[in-house]
Amino acid sequence: MGLDVLFDAVLAVFTSGSVIYVFLGVVLGLTFGVIPGLGGTTALALLIPVTFSMESLDAMYLAGGVMGATSFGGSITAILLNTPGTAPNAATTFDGYPLARQGKAGLAIGASACASAMGGLIGLFTLLLVIPVARELVLAFGPAEFFLLTILGLVAIAVSARGKLLRGLIAGGFGLLLAFVGSDTVSGELRFTLGTDYLWDGIPLVPTLTGMFALSQMIELALKGGSVAGNADAAKQRISGVWEGVRAVFVNWPTLLRGSAIGTIIGAIPGLGGTVASFIAYTSTVQTSKNPESFGKGNILGVIAPESANNAKDGGSLVPTVAFGIPGSAETALFLGILVLHGIDPGPSILLDNQREVYGLIVALTLSAVGASVIGLIFSRWLVMITHINVDFLVPVVVAVSLTGVYVLAGKPGDVMLAMIMGVIGYLMIRFDYPRLTLVIALVLGETCERSFHQTRMISDYDMIGFMAARPQSLILIVLIVLTLLLPSLRRVKWR
Amino acid sequence: MLKTLKHGLIAAAALAVSAGAAMAEWPDKPIKFIVGYSPGGGFDAYARALAPELEKSLGVEVVVENVPGAGGQKGAATIYRADPDGYTIGIWNIPGLTVPQLLGKANGFDLNDVTWLATLGNSRYALAVKADSEYQKLEDLCSLGRPFKHSDTGPASTSSVTAYIAMNLIDCPIINVTGYKGSSDTIVALMRGEVDATIKPIASLNKYVKSGDVRLLMTFEDTPSVEGVPSSGEAGYPDFSKFQVVRVIGGPPGIPADIAARLSEAVVAAASSDTVQEWSVSSKRPVDPVGPEETRALMDELMGFYTTYKDLLAQK
Repeated sequence: MGLDVLFDAVLAVFTSGSVIYVFLGVVLGLTFGVIPGLGGTTALALLIPVTFSMESLDAMYLAGGVMGATSFGGSITAILLNTPGTAPNAATTFDGYPLARQGKAGLAIGASACASAMGGLIGLFTLLLVIPVARELVLAFGPAEFFLLTILGLVAIAVSARGKLLRGLIAGGFGLLLAFVGSDTVSGELRFTLGTDYLWDGIPLVPTLTGMFALSQMIELALKGGSVAGNADAAKQRISGVWEGVRAVFVNWPTLLRGSAIGTIIGAIPGLGGTVASFIAYTSTVQTSKNPESFGKGNILGVIAPESANNAKDGGSLVPTVAFGIPGSAETALFLGILVLHGIDPGPSILLDNQREVYGLIVALTLSAVGASVIGLIFSRWLVMITHINVDFLVPVVVAVSLTGVYVLAGKPGDVMLAMIMGVIGYLMIRFDYPRLTLVIALVLGETCERSFHQTRMISDYDMIGFMAARPQSLILIVLIVLTLLLPSLRRVKWR
Repeated sequence: MLKTLKHGLIAAAALAVSAGAAMAEWPDKPIKFIVGYSPGGGFDAYARALAPELEKSLGVEVVVENVPGAGGQKGAATIYRADPDGYTIGIWNIPGLTVPQLLGKANGFDLNDVTWLATLGNSRYALAVKADSEYQKLEDLCSLGRPFKHSDTGPASTSSVTAYIAMNLIDCPIINVTGYKGSSDTIVALMRGEVDATIKPIASLNKYVKSGDVRLLMTFEDTPSVEGVPSSGEAGYPDFSKFQVVRVIGGPPGIPADIAARLSEAVVAAASSDTVQEWSVSSKRPVDPVGPEETRALMDELMGFYTTYKDLLAQK
């Protein structure tokens, strides 16, 4: 392993002309990212059958282009429409949209572009650094640590809901309830399936996210009428201050680094993913800030943290993949699926047997992380126009496209129904001021939390506490959980 | 999805044509090949490798359609409920679908009525431990003074069922740690030392044997196929060779005999073609096609075998 392999891979993509596939992937990824309800998973799932007739390396370039571009694309809609283009951008709406309302959309988009690119690069750089020890890293973290990480995430929910603690806990509790629908991972018993086999595999994530984030916001917009920017702000919604946004990322490098580190680590945990990564990056940034009150009102750090995290997660999610050929995220699972289609059976020697494909993907992701931001910035000038479109036109188009996306992913009419139900629930949550992201985070964490709790009990011979106490990596996480819980009270003491 | 719509329209149009005429001209429109799992999985890979060769021998388009959900049952039900006109076939996971049916948890299909066309191949199981483990044979795992821990994806998975029945047959206590995200994950769990052993298809384990991470203690077959590893037949467990994953092609109940015969022929021919055989070698997925009679016999035999353990499975 080494730099020579990487240089070869970089040379290969440019000399073979295959860079066009990366470019195609970036354009596709940006498009799927920008449109609420369509995301990286949908784009890759649709591409899988298409790649069957392609050369395996070209398929990797295409997949990498898509993977690296969606999350920045999604941040544009999050900032301009208060509707995350993809689920991981949900945390970006908290401060991105207020910035846009203040006429600083350019600043927010500039910061998001730069943070996405930098986060992506930091994640991939970390991946390259840890490749030699990837096996040991993956073996060091087991169900006990996964369980503690989900607890850390759930604790972050409580801490994040400042001022609205009760509402946050209600939304989180509801998310956990939803997480337990479907067959029990240990006994196989079916729970809360309402007599339909649709719910056997649990509440599917993509339709839920589409309903919660895209459809609910469209209902809200439709009822409000007018255009997003509104007549009063219309003049202000120009793209200016992009470079100021880019600069803000480098000035606030501790936020960038923390966001990227959190993204990389969470990305490497199978089953968690970008939504959790950007949420934790956001909450930890708020927590460590000297004036947490400024968040939610248009603090640029509130854009930098989640956007660096949700691009850094791609590098992290490849750690289990290069170590053992196992996926770290929904996207890497599809990437491995593409390999299987090409007659490659990913396994522990994936780095030796399929070096070309793995490094091809890494190079494509690198080009895409930077390329997407550049292309996005060029077009953002026109994308801002979205906010001037009358919602009578905007809403039907977004609803139709996102529901089509939901249907196309698995071809199940039930998914469309679920997305619509979640859209209504999401709207009610907006209306009565309950945090939707909290519900989603609990839903995502609940599944992993329950599963790894059962696993830890069984592998520890039903002595979980003794088992965790003997593992330093578990102890560190326990300390982090305690600190997260104590931090608000500690801060109060210090300020006095 | 336009395709689905198109097929729906074509199917509706076909109903207007008399059955006799349709049979005489069969096949005159695309054939749907249903896979009950997501794109990129093992069953999907088989279907997509087979489809182009099937097209060649049948002269019409063969469209692979993924209908994932409920552990493959959704796909099975989709095939089962289709019109038996020879335009819908699919790939079946046996005994992955046999066990739910026996336990009364099957939804929308009955394996006893499926029109079986051909068997593509079967994967044998092996018992594996960590490479540097002290366990040298199956008996070591059974005499730990506690149940040995086994890793698996879900309690209803084929390998869970295999581990559970097989160890019960020989009174070997076992705890099945489930919830791992895929068969690779269950093997990584073994390497992390979370479990003592795992029973998985030989093809999945082989990659980890080669990388020096795990060691096979026994293969579940009559005569050994892996050098230096005893088979269950040799070790004195003759029943263990019944456990295997079989990938079978079948259609809805009641496909007319002449059409079924042509479909069977086409599937066997496609699976025996050079392209598919080369794919089988390069991707290490076994393809040894057998025709409809042998397939039906195998299905009956396996149904009988698992029925014997119905009570055991129910109380699991």
